[in-house]
Amino acid sequence: MTQKAQDRITTVQAAVIVSNFLLGSGILTLPRASAEVVGTPDVWFSVLLGGFVAIGAGILMAVLSKWHKGKTVFQYNQKLLGKWIGGTIGLAFVIYFFMTAAYQVRALSEVTQLFLLEGTPSWAIVMVFMWVSLYLMFGGINPIARLFELILPVTIVIYLLVMLMSLKLFEWDNLRPFLGQGILPVLDGVRSTALSFLGVEIILVITAFMSNPNHSVKAVVIGTSIPLVIYMLTVVIVIGGLSLDGVLTRTWPTLDLIRSYEYTGLIFERFESLLLVIWIMQIYSTFTITYFASALGLSQIFHFDIKTCLYGLLPIVFTLSTLPQNIDVLFALGDFLGKSAFFLFVPIPLLLLIITKWRKGANKDAAEKSGS
Amino acid sequence: MSSQLNNKLTEMRERMSFHSDVCIREITLGATEIKGAIVFVNGLADRDLIDLHILKALMTLRQDCAPLTKSYVMERVLTISQLSEVPNIEETVAKVLMGATAILIDGIPEILLAGTTKNKSRNIEEPISEALVRGPRMGFNECLSDNTAMLRRHGENDSMVFMSMQVGSRAKKDLVIAYMKGIAEPELVEEVAARICKINIDNLPESGYVEQLIEDDFLSPFPQIQSTERPDRVIGAMMEGRVAILLDGTPFALIAPVTFSMLLQSPEDYYERWLAGSLLRLLRFFAAMIALLTPAMYISFISFHPGLIPTKLAISIVGSRIGVPFSSLIEALIMEVAIEILREAGLRLPKPIGPAMGIVGGLIIGEAAVQAGIVSPILVIVVAVTAISSFSIPQYSAGIALRMLRFGAMFCAAAFGLYGVVLFVLLLSAHVCRIKSFGVPYASPGAPYRLGDWKDFFVRAPIFMMRKRPEMMHQESKRRQKNE
Amino acid sequence: MRRRKVDHKRWITGCMATLILFLQTGCWSKDEIEDLSIYVGMALDLPYETVLERKMDQLGSDYRKRNHISFTLQIVDKQSEAKSGDTKDDPTSKPYLNISETGDSLFEMIREFATRLERPVIGHHLKVIVINEALSRRYSMNNLLSFMLRDNDIRLNCLVMMSSGTARKVMEAKGNSIIPSFRLNGMVDNRYRTLKIIPPVSLSKLESQMNAHASYLLQNVIAVNGEVKLSGAAVILGKTQKFIGRLSEEELLGTIWLTGEGKGGVVKSYDPKTKQVITYELKSMKSKIKSRVVGGKISFHVSIESDGRLIEEWMEGNETIDDEFIIRSEKATSKEVQRLIKLGLNKIQNRYKTDVVGFGSRLSIEHPKVWKQVKENWDETFSQVPITYDVKLNISETGSKQGH
Repeated sequence: MTQKAQDRITTVQAAVIVSNFLLGSGILTLPRASAEVVGTPDVWFSVLLGGFVAIGAGILMAVLSKWHKGKTVFQYNQKLLGKWIGGTIGLAFVIYFFMTAAYQVRALSEVTQLFLLEGTPSWAIVMVFMWVSLYLMFGGINPIARLFELILPVTIVIYLLVMLMSLKLFEWDNLRPFLGQGILPVLDGVRSTALSFLGVEIILVITAFMSNPNHSVKAVVIGTSIPLVIYMLTVVIVIGGLSLDGVLTRTWPTLDLIRSYEYTGLIFERFESLLLVIWIMQIYSTFTITYFASALGLSQIFHFDIKTCLYGLLPIVFTLSTLPQNIDVLFALGDFLGKSAFFLFVPIPLLLLIITKWRKGANKDAAEKSGS
Repeated sequence: MSSQLNNKLTEMRERMSFHSDVCIREITLGATEIKGAIVFVNGLADRDLIDLHILKALMTLRQDCAPLTKSYVMERVLTISQLSEVPNIEETVAKVLMGATAILIDGIPEILLAGTTKNKSRNIEEPISEALVRGPRMGFNECLSDNTAMLRRHGENDSMVFMSMQVGSRAKKDLVIAYMKGIAEPELVEEVAARICKINIDNLPESGYVEQLIEDDFLSPFPQIQSTERPDRVIGAMMEGRVAILLDGTPFALIAPVTFSMLLQSPEDYYERWLAGSLLRLLRFFAAMIALLTPAMYISFISFHPGLIPTKLAISIVGSRIGVPFSSLIEALIMEVAIEILREAGLRLPKPIGPAMGIVGGLIIGEAAVQAGIVSPILVIVVAVTAISSFSIPQYSAGIALRMLRFGAMFCAAAFGLYGVVLFVLLLSAHVCRIKSFGVPYASPGAPYRLGDWKDFFVRAPIFMMRKRPEMMHQESKRRQKNE
Repeated sequence: MRRRKVDHKRWITGCMATLILFLQTGCWSKDEIEDLSIYVGMALDLPYETVLERKMDQLGSDYRKRNHISFTLQIVDKQSEAKSGDTKDDPTSKPYLNISETGDSLFEMIREFATRLERPVIGHHLKVIVINEALSRRYSMNNLLSFMLRDNDIRLNCLVMMSSGTARKVMEAKGNSIIPSFRLNGMVDNRYRTLKIIPPVSLSKLESQMNAHASYLLQNVIAVNGEVKLSGAAVILGKTQKFIGRLSEEELLGTIWLTGEGKGGVVKSYDPKTKQVITYELKSMKSKIKSRVVGGKISFHVSIESDGRLIEEWMEGNETIDDEFIIRSEKATSKEVQRLIKLGLNKIQNRYKTDVVGFGSRLSIEHPKVWKQVKENWDETFSQVPITYDVKLNISETGSKQGH
């Protein structure tokens, strides 16, 4: 199924979609996940480097996509690699996307059950969430982009608010010494922190919808920079507030930071509710765009109607989300997804890029030959 | 005596035999012996006009003008501005029933029709539903020509276009599409006209019918067309490139397209200085949030998340809720429904009793409910704050939307606590992002971002800074102010 | 205009689904706030069954347990008071309710309260945990606080304190307007008035110390007849996370001066010439710890600076206060501070052999390589490290009285 002509998004919207995809469950877990690997307070430096790696990969994918105007990766890789290989790779992308959706929604149900709705069965939490998301997806890419535009500024403002409030726990000594153990643990950590920037790969899909595909590089750079700043801030403030040793044993360290302070006299006094609210919104956006991408992929590979795909994926994603037996398995799944993303979205786009370039060169040569 | 005139008169009498208010007066024209008759509807036609300019002119006709021709009567005799000729009886009857006077003269085959409709319209009064502290005190009334005149009178403006149409298959009514030529996007005007042309209904009592028949999404709780009785608001919208629809017989004009943020704006924002205007606007956004979510938050905190509220507040709530026999949802529903009934009752009551009943009802029910231990005092505060906040929404229809949605939010909160409230807000935002009003995304300029339009969104920038018209409307002429 | 066709079947299914959802879900997680008991304080003691418990045991209340800990919860009891204003006058009703259990698992004991109370307890509003020091000598903090750190209700900003007496006694108040846990919580905020209160240790801070195997101080609180006093501090040894000793109020002052964490307070000294009282109110306090590593030997130097005012002196003849006197008072005060530091340092370095001041973290920042070697046995190493200090006091004003 091809998308309607009016389904065009602006460059800003593309950047916002990338940002919203990136900001997912990572906000709550990144400080611990990265601290575990790095082991020194220089985690933020790893995050910075990881962000640069992600931006690099994003630029690669953006350049690739803008050469195939109006086509998503699912369409042009079939053109470049042939129906079967291209289709298989497209299918791998689809599987990756809906696995990510399942992972996100499961993380949501874990946190919600722990801090908001103890006793409510997980299926109810997940199902209602998926319906609300489905309603948005039926509108197509435009409402999705618009809603994301509404969510992102709200997220940033509230997040900065709760984070800055926690500065009363902040101690510089928790972040020092800088590079006390040398640069090696930092580089070691990049492997893990780069994974938290999963989401740039969505540019492979949304460039097709951009009204100005030539700006896709700009979109991906801006879109990744916003989460990069937010992640840096998260890591610095959480580790500065709870210290490296304090972070290591907390399952959801960012939430625990917010649960470590109280402002008596302010209306709320305790602010984890605000953090949870924006976090749910972010998971919603991440879930929506991954789910939409995988449905779109399915519909483009097998030429189904996209509505059928949206409905059809519902039970699959739901079942997948119930599969991890416990939270450790869930986090292992997250790691696995990250690693598979690394294999899916770095070598394959590179390969496609080379083929595209080679073909273009060949075409040009042919044109020149026929011309002379 | 010619039979031609008699035939016509008999036919007319037959056609209008059920209309007891029709007057047929036979006359002889001045000094001649030519017979004539005039037909009009008692009360609809202006008697003074008929007496002075038709009867007197015809009956004091000099003798030397014979033979009497049509052109002579029209050009020299009848001193009346609106005069036309109709060939057949059928049309004459329709016109007469609208207030025209038919003039039949022996020897002239055509029937002359004089526009003698007397407009018994209300005086121009201050609009009731949209009161302002500062701003014109003019409101539309039920007469279309008065309303269009009010728009014209706004200023010398030859680009203001009134496109006239007739709607309603049985009761035909005049409808005017007004827009600014050179500002409004032609496609938009065409779209509005096309949608109105498609209306196929026998009767349109009020512009609400038009609104409901041409809106984009009939399932949405939000009004997708703005209705207003303020001419200044209509002019303002037209100058932004919007299209106004005026219907005869109602003081409510329609404005399309409309965006969500417009529902929270009042013309006063522009008349007051920008700082006050901006702050009031922010206040209204805040009030809308409160009106929508406070009871839901109350339910979710009381029933689901006692850990998310301050300790001292939790303790005092526990203290106040001891002995309340209902769960927080039921408790809140009781009070909210009571408030809604009170409000509705206050609207329907005669004016002098209305406010008194509101106060008495509110005070007594609240106080008694607390005394009886049916609801907790904190809930009474919550309900009162909610009700007052919803009064601050300048658009009545938007206020109704928020009031309806509030109950939805309460049920979501009762099922899933804060999580339910968040999902409700997400669903609502998704809905707002999905719908469009005449091609303009309802959530704009919030989404998609049009930073230029943000000067007139949450805040209202100083007027000298708003050099351009809102971008979302794709006007033909973008600038309001010339560059220096 | 859009096509307006309504698929009735789809509508009915949709409505049914929503309806069922709401009917089904209505009560999953619902727990009205007034049906819960909010506990705000916790006290952990050596096993000592209350009279009530013993009587219950005699009546057959029994389950498999070892009596290791006595556990007291403080519940805010607004229920009796709130019926209406009438019962408020009842002089015997207290705004709180203390309830105790003895056993070995804290969580089991908390759930045990469900068999004894009309309203189950919830921990969202826990403000303070008081631990008896003898109990802490027996069990490590890891074990005692395991439940509190895992629980998803208890917030990490809950404070932890020690009591040299019975912790349960700290949770009692004389009048019937005070909730003892709130009182403790409020007293901690008085740090701008005295140096005898250490920076509050919340669960989150404690956990990071625990994970780092660092030694630290916990505020000691003593209770007599329903009155409480913050007095001295308990020292927790990093390696075992158990209590090893207490700092007296003066020794605590010394360590506070070393850390420079005081917010306000007084130093009282005696004028060497007249033997009269001179009181110094400090406005600011700063301490800088410098680590030095020379040939593998670690040493520290602490420079302490303070600025303050002369607030009280007991001069006999109302003499003029001249520069000479100010200098004399500065000297006397700084001598007093040095005495306190010496007392405190001696106790922590030689007696308890614990680094509760934070010398280790300075070393880790300034000499990360060296720190890595000594990290494992830091408390031991610390006891051998030479520490020097200098105190610089400055009386910048004499309050609203001048000259005399």
